[in-house]
Amino acid sequence: MLEIKNLHAKIGDKEILKGLSLKVNAGEVHAIMGPNGTGKSTLASIIAGKEDYVITAGEILFEGKNLLELSPDERAREGVFLAFQYPVEIPGVSTTNFMKAAVNAKRKHHGLEPIVAKEFLALMNEKRQLVDLDKSYLSRSINEGFSGGEKKRNEIFQMAMLDPKLAILDETDSGLDIDALRIVADGVNKLKNKHNAFLVITHYQRLLNYIVPDYVHIMYDGRIVKTGDKSLALKMEERGYDWIKEEIGV
Amino acid sequence: MSFTDNIDVAFETIDKDNLSVVRESALTSFKALGLPSARHEEWKYTHIKTKLPETLRLAASFELQVASKLKYFNSIKGTKLVFINGDFSAESSVILAQSGLTVGSLKENSNLYPEQFEKYFNKATDISKENFAALNTAFVRDGAFIYVKKNTIVEAPVFVFHIYDNASADVFTQSRNLIIAEENSDITIVEDFQNSTGEKFYNHVSEVYVGRNAEVNYSLLQLHNPNTTSVNYVEARLERDARYHITTVTLDGKLVRNNVNAYMDGENALATLNGLYIGKDANHIDNHILVDHRVPNCNSHQTYKGVLDDGATGVFNGKIFVQKDAQKTNAYQSSKAVLLSDEASMNSKPQLEIYADDVKCSHGAAIGQVSKNELFYLLARGIDKDTARGILTYAFANEIIAAIKLPELKTYLDEKLKQRLNITI
Ligand SMILES: Nc1ncnc2c1ncn2[C@@H]1O[C@H](COP(=O)(O)OP(=O)(O)OP(=O)(O)O)[C@@H](O)[C@H]1O
Ligand SMILES: [Mg+2]
Repeated sequence: MLEIKNLHAKIGDKEILKGLSLKVNAGEVHAIMGPNGTGKSTLASIIAGKEDYVITAGEILFEGKNLLELSPDERAREGVFLAFQYPVEIPGVSTTNFMKAAVNAKRKHHGLEPIVAKEFLALMNEKRQLVDLDKSYLSRSINEGFSGGEKKRNEIFQMAMLDPKLAILDETDSGLDIDALRIVADGVNKLKNKHNAFLVITHYQRLLNYIVPDYVHIMYDGRIVKTGDKSLALKMEERGYDWIKEEIGV
Repeated sequence: MSFTDNIDVAFETIDKDNLSVVRESALTSFKALGLPSARHEEWKYTHIKTKLPETLRLAASFELQVASKLKYFNSIKGTKLVFINGDFSAESSVILAQSGLTVGSLKENSNLYPEQFEKYFNKATDISKENFAALNTAFVRDGAFIYVKKNTIVEAPVFVFHIYDNASADVFTQSRNLIIAEENSDITIVEDFQNSTGEKFYNHVSEVYVGRNAEVNYSLLQLHNPNTTSVNYVEARLERDARYHITTVTLDGKLVRNNVNAYMDGENALATLNGLYIGKDANHIDNHILVDHRVPNCNSHQTYKGVLDDGATGVFNGKIFVQKDAQKTNAYQSSKAVLLSDEASMNSKPQLEIYADDVKCSHGAAIGQVSKNELFYLLARGIDKDTARGILTYAFANEIIAAIKLPELKTYLDEKLKQRLNITI
C-alpha cells in the first residue's frame, strides 16, 4: 500500500530525513518509535502533504501512485489520513460542518452524490460513539477549548468518519489517561481490517498492548535503524535509546 | 466643479422648519470647514472629495411603485420604519404601538417634541469639526425618531429601512436619526440601507442617548451595492450604568466611512463596538472608532474584523481617550484583517491617549492571511484549497455576527455573509 524509498527531506537548510525506507502492506499495523526530534512527525507530515519540506531524494508510492505529486487534499481523498500530534483549534467552524465538507469532498472524488442529511447524522452518531465523544462536541468549533484527550478522540472520530486506507497516528496516545487510551485503541481496533493499514507513532510501549503492531521500527536521526516485532518495543522501553545507539554505533 | 459651489442656492430651497436655526449654524460651519482634503489627518487614507457628486440633489421625491411590495424581515415581529428615497413612508411602515415608545419620522416629531429636540438634537456630534456631520445637519431631510421613556422595555425590535430606488441615481442623501433611551429603558434597533444599482451617496448621522441604566442594542447594516459612497456618524452618549452595543456590518460599497463614537459621560457604563467588513474588487472601507472615557469605572470593547480581497482597501483607526479623571477605566481594542490577495491592503492605526494612571487598556492589530496550520488541517481531511480558504475566512468573519443578540438577524446576516464569501456550508 505504502512504499517509501530512500527518502531525504529538509526544511530550510536542515536535513531531517536522511534516507528513510519503509513498506506497509494492507492489513498491517506498523509502529514507529524514536527519540524526540528524530523526524517522526516530519515523516507523517510529508506523507500527508505538508508543503514546508523539500524532498531532496527518494520517493513515496501509495497504491503504486507517486504520492508526492498529489496535493494534500487529493491524498486525503485517495485515503491517506493523519491524526495530528497537535490538532489545530479552528474557532467558528463546527466539527459537524467540517466533517460534512470532508465527507462530501471524498464522495465527489469517488463520483458519488453528496451524502443525505439523515444518513450523515446517523454516521456521525455511530462514529462519535466509537470514541465516546459527547454529541455536544460536534456542534462546537473544531477542537476549541477541548482538553488534550478530547482533541485526540476527535482525531480518531474524524478518521472513523473518513474511513481511510492508510491512517497515520502521530502520538495519539501521548498525554492520555488509561481510560482515554483504551477508548482510542478500541476505536482503532474496530476500524482495522484487511484492506487498511496503520502507522502508529508513539513513545510508549503501553499503547502497543492495545493496538498490537505487526512491526516495530526504531527511528533515529532521520532513518529507520532497526525493525522487529512487538517485543522490540518492550526492549526499547526497558533499555532506552542508548542501547540502539550502541548497536548502530553512534 | 463640486456641489459646494452652489450650496447656498441649494440651502434656499429647504422649507423653514423647527430645525432651521440649527441648520443655519451648521451651514456656516460646513462652509468654514469645506470638504476634507487628502491632507486632513482623519481622511488621509480615504480620499472622499473625488467620490462625491457634482450637484447636491435634494428633491428626491420620486414615485416609487415598489413601495407597496416592500417586504423586509417579514418573519420578524417588529416595528418597521421605512424611508423611501429619504422620505418617511407611513404607508410602507408598520408601527407596533407600545406605551412609553414613540417611533416615526424625525421631521414630523421635531414639531411634536420640541423639548427633546432642544435637549438632544445635534448635541452628540461636533459640527464645528466634522465636515460631513455639519453638512448633514444643514441639509437634514428625514430619518428615524425613536424615543423610549423611562422604565420602558421595548418589546419588539425597531427596524429602520432606508430604501433607494434605481431612479434616484446621483442623489446625495442627508438622513438623520435621533434615538433617546431614557433611564432603565431597553431597546433593540436594526438599521438597514438597501439599494440595488446605480450611484448612491449617503451622508448619515445617528445620535444615540443611552440614559441611566438603559440598554441600547444597535446594528447598522450596510449591504450596499458596489457603487455606493457612504459616510456615517453613529454618535452615542452614555450615562451612568448604561449599556450600549453597536455592530456595523459592511458587505460592499465603493467607499464607506464609518465614524462610530461613544462618549462615556456617566460612571460604570459599558460600550461594545463591533464591526465586520468584507471588501472585494475596488471597495474601500474605513472604520474610524472613538471611545472617550471621561469619567471613572467604565468599560469599552472594540472588536473589528475585516476580509479584503482583490484590490480592496481597508482602514481602521481606533481611538481610545482616557481623560485624567477616568480612573479604573477598562478599555479594549482589537482590529484584525485578513488579506486574500496581494493587491488588497489594510491600514490600521490604534491611537490611545491615556491621561489617567490607574487604567487597564489593551489593543491589538493584526493583518494577515488565513492561518497555514488551520488551512493544512482542512486540506488533510480532503477539502480542496478554495473551499478550505472560504471556510476559514467565514469562520474568522462570523465571530462578529455570532455576537449579535437578535437570533433572526444573526441568521439573516449569516446567510448574507456566506453569499458574499461564496461558500456553502
Ligand atoms: N518548521 C521547522 N523549522 C525548522 N526545524 C523544524 C521544523 N519542524 C521541525 N523541525 C525540526 O526537525 C526535527 C524533527 O522534528 P519532528 O517534529 O519531526 O520530530 P519528532 O520525531 O516528531 O519529535 P517528537 O517526538 O518530539 O514529536 C527537529 O529537530 C525539529 O526541531
Ligand atoms: Mg512528533
